[in-house]
Amino acid sequence: MKKAPVLWVKHIVLIFFSLSMVFPFLWMVISALKTKDEIWQFPPTLWPNKPMWHHFADAWAMAPFNQYIFNSIFTASAIVLIQVVNSALIAYAVTQLRFKGRNLLFSIILITYMLPVAATYVPSYVILADFNLLDTYSGLILSNAASVFGIFLFRQAFLQVPKELIEAARVDGARHWTIIWKIIFPTTKATFITFSLISFVQNYNNYLWPTLITRSESKYLITTGLRQFFIQEGAYGMQWPLIMAASAFTVLPLLILFVFVQKWIISGISDQGLKG
Amino acid sequence: MGVPAAKLKSNKQLLAIKRPRRKLSLTPLLFILPAIIPLIIFWIYPMGKSLYISFTDWDYISPEYDFVGFSNYTDLLTDPGFYSVLVNTVVFSMGVVIPCVAGGLMLALLVSGNGKGMGIYRTLIFSPWVTPTVAVSIVWSWIYEPNVGLANWVLNLLQLPALGWTSSSTWAMPAVIIVSIWKGVGWAMIFYLNALKKVPVSLYEAASLDGASKWRQFLHITIPFISPTTLFLIVITSIDALQAYDQIQVLTQGGPAGSTRTMLYFYYQTAFEEFNMGKATATAILLVVITAAFSFFQFIFSKRWVHYQ
Repeated sequence: MKKAPVLWVKHIVLIFFSLSMVFPFLWMVISALKTKDEIWQFPPTLWPNKPMWHHFADAWAMAPFNQYIFNSIFTASAIVLIQVVNSALIAYAVTQLRFKGRNLLFSIILITYMLPVAATYVPSYVILADFNLLDTYSGLILSNAASVFGIFLFRQAFLQVPKELIEAARVDGARHWTIIWKIIFPTTKATFITFSLISFVQNYNNYLWPTLITRSESKYLITTGLRQFFIQEGAYGMQWPLIMAASAFTVLPLLILFVFVQKWIISGISDQGLKG
Repeated sequence: MGVPAAKLKSNKQLLAIKRPRRKLSLTPLLFILPAIIPLIIFWIYPMGKSLYISFTDWDYISPEYDFVGFSNYTDLLTDPGFYSVLVNTVVFSMGVVIPCVAGGLMLALLVSGNGKGMGIYRTLIFSPWVTPTVAVSIVWSWIYEPNVGLANWVLNLLQLPALGWTSSSTWAMPAVIIVSIWKGVGWAMIFYLNALKKVPVSLYEAASLDGASKWRQFLHITIPFISPTTLFLIVITSIDALQAYDQIQVLTQGGPAGSTRTMLYFYYQTAFEEFNMGKATATAILLVVITAAFSFFQFIFSKRWVHYQ
């Protein structure tokens, strides 16, 4: 009997917090559906009198959003693929192979994890310029090809693989490739999925660096493209409903993806030994 | 017969284990290079190069430059404008890190366990983290609209005076901080959820038998047990907060009157708007030093309050 009121209070508090967290997303969609007059009403209406569903199509047609979203998904997927392979390989080396300088190598990677990535922007920009890779897909992909976070995540996961399994395979004469593919990958599959998802989200959301190294509209990522659209529409007439519509189709693909894969992201972050 | 066979086998085993190790001198490289090459080209070399450029007066366009010693650093550190940038950075970072870590712990305590609906709460609270900062900052800039925005409407309903939010030099910083907390608190919550799961239930049971209140149990069992997670979260969220850029660029562009210009924003403006590469890289190096010093002191002080099992 004593517990029931406490439980109610807890649920009310949680409903309040959950609603405040998602309300900006709801507000984004509601605002996208309002007419230009209605959106400037005060107090604001909680649901538009006449929802303008065509605002989504209008906004979509005003800028090459399909190109932007393609660019983001394409480069993010390529980056994820490269990062998964090279992070897993180096994690295998630092956990399973013995060689000189192994600890030094890992310390260097550990320090890199702590450094602000922004400190690399000026020289990295010059390097891309020297290789004629500014404003290209290759530049976007190659400059993000290494993930220190990924190396950590895979190292932590590979350390959990039972040593006896790997030793036994080695005794049977298994090659490194077989050990990775037949033993390590199946036992650490969850880490592969979690890292791929987190890295995809981070690269899709990346803004400052891709904006610095792209110049032509056809290479803009969705973040840069949306920001550009915001400046234009914001400056020439405050088309807030259209801006909200454009924000909605930038955000919604990720929210939908998240609903389906949230189990992997949430449990991945907490279970994979990312505890420091 | 049995004995030699066994011996033979163990010899074979030894050989099988040892042989690859001896011959493998080049093999590790094949595993290391695919990651280490991009890491060197786009991380380690640029770090060193930044340090080098910070001692020059390079302007990006001209091929010649001069060494100017520490003058970029002394210029920065004697410029009162740079002090306000430093203060903004510290205010922003503390304003984001403390509520994120404390709020994350509070939310984790609320949604821990397998009660009804807990999974849904977790998903909803975490959802802002997956969305692009640029896009949600645009949404928030509409929420902060001073005349008809949602934020002022809520204040109006609570009988509070309307605020200028991003157009007021007093309220722009809190506005940017609120967006950053909103986006980051779910991340801290997830880490705490896992830490809370690992506190042994037997400890609570023993404490209850001794008559310890829930609050005392929280202070003397929960807090010490999750302290490694707290340390980790403080370091990681601080490193992120020190590098915040996207939300500031969309919401305030460092204004009004420089009230939200943090180190990273200052770095961006100096490097890619003024093309003063020496000064910009000196700022970046100072940011590296601050980050490193902060992490270092956290780890030193942590010996006093972090309890590893």
